[in-house]
Amino acid sequence: MTVILRAENLSKRFGGLKAVDAVELELNDGEILGVIGPNGAGKTTLFSMIAGSIPPTTGRVLLEGNVISGGSPRRAVRAGVVRTHQIVRPFQNLTVLENVMVGAIYGKARPLGARERALEVLDFCSLRDRAPQLPGGLTLAGRKRLELARALATEPRVLLLDEVIAGVNPAEALHMADLIRSVREKRGLSIILIEHVMPAVMRLSDRVIVLDAGKKIAEGKPQQVVKDSRVIAAYLGESASAAASAQPGPAGSPTPTSGAAPASLPTPPANPTPASIPKKGPGGHQ
Amino acid sequence: MKLLPHWVSRPALVALLAALVVGAVLPKVLGLSVYSQNQVTETFLFVAAALAWNWMGGYLGQVSFGHSAMFGLGGFISARLLLALHLPFWLAWIVGGLVAAAYALVWGHPTLRLRGPYFSIATIGVGEATRLVMTYWEDLTGGSSGLSLPITPGLKSELYWWALALMALVIAASYSLRKSTFGLGLLAIKSDVDAAADVGISPTLMQDIVLLLSGFTVGVCGAFYASYQNFIEPGDMFGFDRSISFVLMAVIGGVGTIIGPALGAVVFVMLRQYLIGSYPQLYLGIYGLLLIVVILFEPLGMMGLFFRIARRFGLMRPEVEATLEAKAAVGGGAADPGARQGGAP
Amino acid sequence: MQRFTELVVAAVLLAGLYATMAYGLGLIYGVLRVVNLNHGGIIMAGAYIGWLLHEKFGIDPYLSIPVVVAVSFVLGIAIYRGLVRHLPRGPAGAVQSLLLLFGVWLVLRNAAYLLFTGNDQTIRTEYSTRSLAAFGLAVSVNRVAVFGIAVLTLVVLHLFLTRTFTGKAIRAVAQNADSCTLVGVDVERIYSLTFGIGTALAGLAGLLGASLFSFNPSYGSGDLLKSFVIVVLGGLGSVMGTAVAALILALVEVFAILALPAYLTGAVGFVLLVLVLVLRPGGLFGQRVLG
Ligand SMILES: Nc1ncnc2c1ncn2[C@@H]1O[C@H](COP(=O)(O)OP(=O)(O)OP(=O)(O)O)[C@@H](O)[C@H]1O
Ligand SMILES: [Mg+2]
Repeated sequence: MTVILRAENLSKRFGGLKAVDAVELELNDGEILGVIGPNGAGKTTLFSMIAGSIPPTTGRVLLEGNVISGGSPRRAVRAGVVRTHQIVRPFQNLTVLENVMVGAIYGKARPLGARERALEVLDFCSLRDRAPQLPGGLTLAGRKRLELARALATEPRVLLLDEVIAGVNPAEALHMADLIRSVREKRGLSIILIEHVMPAVMRLSDRVIVLDAGKKIAEGKPQQVVKDSRVIAAYLGESASAAASAQPGPAGSPTPTSGAAPASLPTPPANPTPASIPKKGPGGHQ
Repeated sequence: MKLLPHWVSRPALVALLAALVVGAVLPKVLGLSVYSQNQVTETFLFVAAALAWNWMGGYLGQVSFGHSAMFGLGGFISARLLLALHLPFWLAWIVGGLVAAAYALVWGHPTLRLRGPYFSIATIGVGEATRLVMTYWEDLTGGSSGLSLPITPGLKSELYWWALALMALVIAASYSLRKSTFGLGLLAIKSDVDAAADVGISPTLMQDIVLLLSGFTVGVCGAFYASYQNFIEPGDMFGFDRSISFVLMAVIGGVGTIIGPALGAVVFVMLRQYLIGSYPQLYLGIYGLLLIVVILFEPLGMMGLFFRIARRFGLMRPEVEATLEAKAAVGGGAADPGARQGGAP
Repeated sequence: MQRFTELVVAAVLLAGLYATMAYGLGLIYGVLRVVNLNHGGIIMAGAYIGWLLHEKFGIDPYLSIPVVVAVSFVLGIAIYRGLVRHLPRGPAGAVQSLLLLFGVWLVLRNAAYLLFTGNDQTIRTEYSTRSLAAFGLAVSVNRVAVFGIAVLTLVVLHLFLTRTFTGKAIRAVAQNADSCTLVGVDVERIYSLTFGIGTALAGLAGLLGASLFSFNPSYGSGDLLKSFVIVVLGGLGSVMGTAVAALILALVEVFAILALPAYLTGAVGFVLLVLVLVLRPGGLFGQRVLG
């Protein structure tokens, strides 16, 4: 397995707050890497640095050995790394198609055939019949898929997805999970996925890393990571960790957490496995 | 065979050519007096200037209260070139426009990282600082006594066609700037500058380019205005009123639309003529009232009214009308500099 | 050295006035995210109200402070309730409110022109030319009084914002209006109150300015820019930040008189603004919360 993206000693300081603290990260080609952690752990900040939206305080990000961090997001997008936003940010004044065309035109500075490429991506994300509408008319799930489509249109190699499943209804969540999987299978992308919806993370990710208070506290197979005492402590507070059986943490994680965030381990929405539900059609909005 | 980019619609091209032909034969057919013809020339000129202002204010959502700086600079540079070197006037205009564009970039590059209202206030500073300096820079502007230019009546009537050509070029440029892939990028920046950057747009570069184009065009308009007047002085060329007039033309007609500011300029030139004639004491306040009324009741100005009528009578598919209106929307949805990513929605 | 001390003292005394007017602009922006482009108009109105009371009724400008503050407070609330409130919130509304308030400014300017002509006016009292002598320096009584009133105003304002319930509500709304609605704060009322306080500060600054300088209907446009420079420099809402930034601007202006021809000193504020933007782009609006 070859490493496609590597973050070295990545930190971000906001005044006195260390939002991200010396995080090391490797993403293998074709892998889906889950990133979990309580609210305010620094997940989004980590993405912003990888995507070039904000410069890191220390450290750097390499895509196949080339530095992409510290410049503009454009540098990262040209190299092939693109993000979506946790709070969706469609261009409200452009139609769905034009939103995606912006990605297709500016992602790789290739205006020719942008319309056709955008339409193909819309098809892929089951948004084709929404093409001439304004994004204001889409459901939240639709806008999340638009966010994904706009990113895909830049023809990335690495896709950073920030909570694209959280907040949508169970059927839409399954649809999105399918979509993410086919992004990897059909388009050959490597994906880093921030997600609070645990069942989705568990099923989609090949590997998971856990952030808490800016630090990486665990890393490994999803099933192992959720049993890690430090992870449980991070989500439920110190007292809970004593009760939890101490599982040997997989990867070398630096320090145990202290003063962890309040209990916020999200409850899984009661839903069956994605495969058992027929895929929802593009028009399927509530 | 494809001669034109796909976004050039045939109706738009035909309309522009028809307008050109009508404009060209108009003085002959109507037998316009010299005075009226001069009025029309001036209108053409301000249509061009208002459209160029709109590239910043409407396409990018960066409202400038300082465009008089480029108008005046273009005017005085070309006036000096005409007086000292006797250049052909079109060449003097181009040089004036280039100097104005360069000046725009000097102040605009740093201030354009401010969005929306912050940028606008900075431009008030630009306009005032420029006016102050220029009023005292007598070697360039002749100070408060201004500059007199030798204009013959023959030249003045010839300028009618030049103004028509200038206006046609600027209309075509407005259309291309909006409809091209570049224009799509501008709309994305207006809507959300950070999200635009995150898909590979360079907002700094694109905003600089638009400012250069806008500054150049307004500079050329100033240069044209200078060679058209017998006399120019810095208080008028660089004045606050001048900057406001560009804002008003665009607001009356419809900021952010393609053609609105052109309509606004036509109305504004007539209105100003009337007000200065009849209510010289009141015109500034009436401009202010106009701004208030338009923003409060119809933020897209005359084009907004047009959209309303189109909706009412079903002249346009509602979907098409909605997308046009969204593109024009004043200010777009640029990210609040104070806003921060919160928890899950 | 003597000259130097004189200039520093002059700058400090001026900074009080600058801080007052800048705080008014920053407060409104911090809470409503609206730039009050009519700031200059209210400053001008404050100056003329003080002048009118002095000319017509012989009221001392310092005694007319309550009247000026009350009138500009009510004017501000009227502008908010009648106009600004009807615009959409958020970024689209930001540009619209800018154009709208600009229109209000033009109307006010024109009204002042019709009522009082375009001539320069001054408020002349018997102590206008008197000065205090201290440590070998002669300082104008007026300037000291203006400074004292400005400092007092800022202290009261600071206490109001940090100690009273309403003040705390204003700061809370500045941080997060949505959660304030959830816990039952009447956000709309806070908005109009804040707008009123901001314009009251502008009116006060206008009156204080009028006892020092001559003015005409376009008085206040320079002060709008100065306020803006100070808010950009000093951050939002912090009284200390505003005071320091006001002092920096006043120092730069006062010393610019030594180095530059007189007509260029008007451009100093703008040059400072561009320098700040280039050198310290982080020092923009929205970096700090009110407090
Ligand atoms: N621009 C900023 N300025 C100051 N502090 C910030 C900024 N952005 C984020 N923070 C802070 O950094 C910390 C990490 O924020 P981040 O958004 O990365 O967390 P997160 O893990 O994505 O949380 P969530 O699960 O809620 O999305 C938080 O305490 C946040 O308040
Ligand atoms: Mg986040």
